[in-house]
Amino acid sequence: MATVITPAGQRHVERLEKIWAPRAGVLGWLMTTDHKRIGIMYFFTALAFFGAGGVEAEIIRTQLMTPNNHLIGPQAYDEVFTMHGITMIFLFVIPMTTGAFGNYLLPLMIGARDMAFPRMNALSYWVYLASGLFMYYSLANGHAPNAGWFDYVPLAERAFDPGNNIDFYGYGLIFNGISSTMASINFIVTIFKMRAPGMSLNRMPLFCYAFLATSLALLFALPSLTVACIFLELDRELGFHFYDPHFGGDPLLWQNLFWIFGHPEVYIIILPAFAIATAIIPTFSHRRMVAFPLVALAEILVAFLGFGVWVHHMLTVGFATIVYVYFTAASLIITIPSAIQIFSWIATIVSGKPQFKTPLLFICGFIVYFIIGGLSGITLAAIPFDQQVHDSYYVVAHFHFVIFGAAVFPILGGMYFWFPKVTGKMYRERWGQVSFWLTALGTMVTFMPMHIVGIIGMPRRNWTYPSGLGWAGYNLSETIGAYILLAGLLTIFANLAWSLWRGEPAGNDPWGGDTLEWSTTSPPPVYNYPVIPTVSSPYPMWDTADRERDNRRLERGEGLMELGHQTPSSTVQDAELEEVLEMPSSSIWPLLTAASLTAVFASLVLTHYWIAAGFVVVLGCTLIGWHWESLSRHGVMAYEQEAHA
Amino acid sequence: MSDVQLPAGRGAAGVAPAARRRTPQPTGWWGAVLFLCAEVTLFGTMIGSYFYLDFDSHHWPPAGVPMPEILKVSVSTGVVVLMSIPMWRAAKAAQAGRRRETALLIFFAMFWQAAYLGFQIYLWRLDYLQFHPQGSAYGSIYFTLLTTDHAHVLLGILADASILMFILLKGLPRYQRIGVRGLAFYWHVVNVLIICVYLTLLSPRL
Amino acid sequence: MLNDHSPQAHDIMLLWWWMLGAGAVVLLGALAMLLIGYITRKRPGLPFFGTRESVPQIMVLVFGIAIPAVVLVVLFAVADVYLVGKTSPPSPKSTAMTIHVIGRQWWWEVDYPGTGVVTANEIHIPTRTRINVVATTGDVIHSFWVPSLNRKIDMIPGRLNRVLLYASNPGAYRGQCSQFCGLEHARMALWVFAQPKAQFEAWLHGQERLAAKPSTNAERLGEAYFLSDQCASCHTIAGTPARGDVGPNLTHVGSRATLAALTIPNTPYWMSKWIANPQAIKPGVQMPDLGVPPAQIKDIVAYLESLK
Repeated sequence: MATVITPAGQRHVERLEKIWAPRAGVLGWLMTTDHKRIGIMYFFTALAFFGAGGVEAEIIRTQLMTPNNHLIGPQAYDEVFTMHGITMIFLFVIPMTTGAFGNYLLPLMIGARDMAFPRMNALSYWVYLASGLFMYYSLANGHAPNAGWFDYVPLAERAFDPGNNIDFYGYGLIFNGISSTMASINFIVTIFKMRAPGMSLNRMPLFCYAFLATSLALLFALPSLTVACIFLELDRELGFHFYDPHFGGDPLLWQNLFWIFGHPEVYIIILPAFAIATAIIPTFSHRRMVAFPLVALAEILVAFLGFGVWVHHMLTVGFATIVYVYFTAASLIITIPSAIQIFSWIATIVSGKPQFKTPLLFICGFIVYFIIGGLSGITLAAIPFDQQVHDSYYVVAHFHFVIFGAAVFPILGGMYFWFPKVTGKMYRERWGQVSFWLTALGTMVTFMPMHIVGIIGMPRRNWTYPSGLGWAGYNLSETIGAYILLAGLLTIFANLAWSLWRGEPAGNDPWGGDTLEWSTTSPPPVYNYPVIPTVSSPYPMWDTADRERDNRRLERGEGLMELGHQTPSSTVQDAELEEVLEMPSSSIWPLLTAASLTAVFASLVLTHYWIAAGFVVVLGCTLIGWHWESLSRHGVMAYEQEAHA
Repeated sequence: MSDVQLPAGRGAAGVAPAARRRTPQPTGWWGAVLFLCAEVTLFGTMIGSYFYLDFDSHHWPPAGVPMPEILKVSVSTGVVVLMSIPMWRAAKAAQAGRRRETALLIFFAMFWQAAYLGFQIYLWRLDYLQFHPQGSAYGSIYFTLLTTDHAHVLLGILADASILMFILLKGLPRYQRIGVRGLAFYWHVVNVLIICVYLTLLSPRL
Repeated sequence: MLNDHSPQAHDIMLLWWWMLGAGAVVLLGALAMLLIGYITRKRPGLPFFGTRESVPQIMVLVFGIAIPAVVLVVLFAVADVYLVGKTSPPSPKSTAMTIHVIGRQWWWEVDYPGTGVVTANEIHIPTRTRINVVATTGDVIHSFWVPSLNRKIDMIPGRLNRVLLYASNPGAYRGQCSQFCGLEHARMALWVFAQPKAQFEAWLHGQERLAAKPSTNAERLGEAYFLSDQCASCHTIAGTPARGDVGPNLTHVGSRATLAALTIPNTPYWMSKWIANPQAIKPGVQMPDLGVPPAQIKDIVAYLESLK
């Protein structure tokens, strides 16, 4: 049940509204540290990059519609397909899942009022935005990265790619990685320390488990990519020889470093999708998740095991067979946690009383496409088969089913699911269902034929192909599918946009949801919860006794933390209340820090190294200013309170 | 006054009573630990790359590149690693609120860390006169690993200096005390990494 | 891969069909379960099994752990223990012949060690013979892939990788580079011509000979232009002073089926267009627009086409 506010409670609510009132206007957004505002900024930025990546996809498909087509030539094509991959992975999917959904929902789901480090949260967003603009600047100027999203050397070395296309890639990914690293630290500490008292680890929603797994994987995977890019830029800019066999280096060092990051990356992409699915399924099935502990364990296990399989991206480089046998065994083992989850989801739906509204439809689509993508992935663990179809369209089919079908469908379903909570309006259900079927059809028609055309010999990353090989028919249908998919996606956004303008009021809890965010108003107040919620299970909204208790506490004025910008921190395992934290409200330092970091990277890519060093000094000054603000604003305040408590 | 009942027995210094099994750590401490996890992974990857290139090659170091020298490097490494002791004591002093002692200990450590860095730069230049990163993959990974190491030491020294400045100007509120603990932890981890890098770069001799 | 012409490609294809079958069963099973979920949506509990909570949990253990584990172990044993032995690089002792293939942006250099034969973009092999292909690159990473005959192998600087080539039947088998290698990665294809042993030997002897001497006036002029224009700085024609090693060896170019790595047919018309403006046909290719006058082109083409 949602929070009921009596006249007595209203007094406290008004006080909280005053304390937490955001700064007005544009400055309020530029200086915000509110996780919900940051989540919204991430959402629209990620959506814009989704659009850019989508345009790139449509260009690719249109160019490949017929054999020997010349819509664009190889130079432009190579930049387009490279930017398509980089955009979709680094600038859309991860920011959308972790930055938008994670940021907005995580504090709400754990009963907190903000993330552990709100200013660092803002910094993550501004650095992400800057890194995206940094890379797109290169596209606007006609020298975007052009060696594929995994950028193999020696093709990416200066000798074969003399312009600064690849430098935008190398510096850009290091830049983007800083945003993700900070975000993952924030998520882990928030999940560990900011849960409402009573939400012990075994009472944490599955959404949070998946995000914990995602963030841990991100934290440990990104350094490998960073090192790979550092080595690449040292080779390119200063003439080092990490990857050059003529000087004792090895091109396979790049591949190993890249895929040690790259494989966990794909689990980082899919785990938040699992998070969204495990939020939507119990709600619409009107029952608890089957085998909750197994599902939680499976989510963590997938992230962990994902670090041990990277060589399965390199099965054709000529390593000894025994090496391949080990890595494919590990790859097959990862299937088990995924299978556990798939069957738990299906069992929950079947044994519940499911309402197949739009969000659940998208999750059903996700389940089906995840199975298809997962099956093609299993076939790729059969070494001889992989060695036939590696780098062909079969692999393109596989990863689009798992990335688009299995990571993006929950994002789309999640948009519908939480739209009423974030906007206060309800979308149009009939149009929602149409948009699902159109998108699902488009996905199938675009990506299914790719399995076949890959098996019959079409390699990937070809800007054109000859006639007479039997590839034309499949390519044509893939292009038609891409346009159907475009129609489906446009229908989704038209539905949401229209509903934003003209939708019916949604109320606090239109779905009978199970997690805490459904107890707040729609949209939630700035401070999220007037009282810090009581929690005794992973399905807090279905524990009506606890929610009634919260209402009574609001009336009595207990557990409000209304003396400042306050939220509790708790112990890691059992979520015993530990201390009351004073959170920052708005701050200019994240924006200034992001700006100076951007200046550092801009100087580096323009090879003005001394200027870059100068901006590093500026960066240091912004960090000092940040620290100064901590001490003046709340360093003294909160802990004096604690001394008197 | 907070309207929330905090657990009994927690004093101003945040020291937990003996009955608790584990001391809960503040969010800032967790943040520092996780940041250092990322940095340790970064170094681990670079060290892994060193050995990858080593195992891949027949001559390591390649012909014409001298073997790394041991004595000077060992002494200076010993000095900087010993600075974990004053940093650890500084963290303890900060916890107890002893401002002057904290500042003096940080200053003492900072002085020797800077001396270490200065000497390392001198050794770096000696190396550079004999072989270049542009000459071989060995040179590339040697200088990169070493320079990344020195960069982390420089960062630590700058952090020492700024925390010192804050202690002198703003005293030791709890936020700052957690900061000193984080800084000490940073140095412990960096010292371990210095030892790892030291052993890695000397490995052709071992 | 579906047109398999060797035991290796055949085995892999068979593996594919089995995996497809098993995968289809899993997918259809899941679809059926979701459909059942829809049909019985008004009733809680699993159909036929009632509403006891332990039932779906047992189902998860069976369908999520037990059955997948068994299936995956079988797949692993068949593919990654048994079949992998047959598609791994052959030991040179088990092969009858070695051919070196060197990937270059964007064509294939093909050498027959011990014979001095160097050709480009076409590999001739005798049927029913185990060939040891040694693959490497002269510039960036390429990948050697002839799907009808076997799996692919990457061509990596500093490494000599090997793959088995064995054709059960005579025929022409198309291959294509499958590691993105730059602008014209899409136009880096090759032919493998499998011929009966006698025919292959005849071809090989023909290739071992030095270049044919020009016999007509046009051909003589063509040879002269070839040597005096910049052609000789990039191309080799054995038996002439032309000793360039940037572009393909042209000693027997007249007998090849295509030009520019299967981009255009090898006819006088296309060869003239190529020499006149290679960038128009294969933008990015290393051969520049040389500004050769059309009259000269005619003679050069006549000469080159005579080099059978």
